[in-house]
Amino acid sequence: MKAFLAYLDPGTGSLILQVILGGAAAVAVTAKLWWHRLLQLLHIRRRSPATESEPRRE
Amino acid sequence: MSEAPGGGAPRAEPGSFRDPASRVFLTEDGGVLRALSPAGWEDWLALKESTAFAELSREGRIIGTSEANGAAPAIVSPPYAGVLRHERVPFVTYPYEWTFAMLRDAALLHLEILERCLGESLILKDSTPYNVQWRGTDPVHIDVGSFERLRQDEPWIGYRQFCELFLYPLMLQAYKNVPFQPWLRGSLEGIAPTEARALMSLRDLLRRGVPTHVVLHARLERRHAASTAREVRGELARAGFRPEIIRANVRRLRKLVTRLRWDPRATAWTGYREDNSYSDADADAKQRFVAVAAARRSRELAWDLGCNDGTFARIAADHARTVLAIDADHATVDRLYRALADEGQRRVLPLVIDLCDPSPDRGWRGRERASLVRRGRPDLTLCLALVHHLAITRNVPLGEIVAWLAELGGALVIEFATREDPMVQRLLAGKREDLHGDYTREEFERRLSEAFRLERHEESPSGHRILYDVHPRAG
Repeated sequence: MKAFLAYLDPGTGSLILQVILGGAAAVAVTAKLWWHRLLQLLHIRRRSPATESEPRRE
Repeated sequence: MSEAPGGGAPRAEPGSFRDPASRVFLTEDGGVLRALSPAGWEDWLALKESTAFAELSREGRIIGTSEANGAAPAIVSPPYAGVLRHERVPFVTYPYEWTFAMLRDAALLHLEILERCLGESLILKDSTPYNVQWRGTDPVHIDVGSFERLRQDEPWIGYRQFCELFLYPLMLQAYKNVPFQPWLRGSLEGIAPTEARALMSLRDLLRRGVPTHVVLHARLERRHAASTAREVRGELARAGFRPEIIRANVRRLRKLVTRLRWDPRATAWTGYREDNSYSDADADAKQRFVAVAAARRSRELAWDLGCNDGTFARIAADHARTVLAIDADHATVDRLYRALADEGQRRVLPLVIDLCDPSPDRGWRGRERASLVRRGRPDLTLCLALVHHLAITRNVPLGEIVAWLAELGGALVIEFATREDPMVQRLLAGKREDLHGDYTREEFERRLSEAFRLERHEESPSGHRILYDVHPRAG
């Protein structure tokens, strides 16, 4: 579970901004990210429960 | 390598506790050890194998590091998996003591290391200028525990911290001409995106990097305040986040930081050496006097207080391993830093510090960041053309000035300007007449002789200035 051992709070907005500013490398990722969000908003897709059930370690 | 840590157990460095995977200990003989958790040790093994680490170490950009598991059995026990030994830096300093160009060079070092490591699937887990220290004017990254293996779908965790502690303070100085040091000293966490946003005017919104790294950053932070970092990371991973995105961001930031400029207007101090009350004969005599005192023996640490253009710090550096060139005027020290870097002078470390308000103890329990004096006392102090500014402009009593210099404990070269000196007359002209009646040569010498033993003294050719070469009485 190394991915969640970060001891810093990365800031949620700061994480999203990286994708927006990521230039050409990030275009597809940005599109997908907003598409997923749109589907969630329209209740077509639920949030993945796997990412929410793990204990928080900051 | 002889690794005996001395009699006592290594003690934990009080500024190193935030990352549980990596903790610094100091040994009694002055050694620096780093204990790593099992995961931290795995990261070290990956780092050690990388070309970037070998090159950056050879270039002196990352602190010299070796494995030292035999060094300290006391700390190689759970939860730690292994121990590293680091080279020491000559004197620990903090970003609120640096100049604009120093903070910018530290930011560029951080980004360069990050970019080179990303090429080998490594990343820095934080982005704090407290991980950068100085050998003269050369910045060096000291936190080997910050490196970790990169997960392909993991975003750059340290980006926000980079903005808070590097980018926004630099923008504040470059775009607003507001000194960043009080902000960093006021908050060890730096300037938050929403705070940086509030500081920017309409006109600033057109400046490079502000619409994205400040305005959009603050807006996204507000909008996503309710979601957790875990949710967002999951979303990013599912959307196909790749390390190329981090690399693109780091490259853009490097370009942005490289272009940030601070062009201070000349201050009263930047032209001081050319525009003061000395004659050439006075200046020559003073340099000879200081050179004799500095050459008496070689020293570990010298301080040049009120260093201005660093003339005397350079003289002291001929016989001292490290010289702190300290001045309160940011523009002057920034110029000095750039001049020293051009000269390749590696012993003088310029710092912006107001002696009437020097760096205090800071952070958790007041121990995380130490006050100036707790980080090391000088063997030799130069206090030239300073006493009259402290005594008259800042109203510090002569006895207080001498007592503080005596507390430092080392030898002292100090200059006293008499009331006849044109600079002193200029300073006195701005004050109530009866306020500085005790500012006399007799009173100064009386105070000085109480705390110090006189080696020699010399009147300047003009007769307005007296230099004293003295040693503390105690010890």
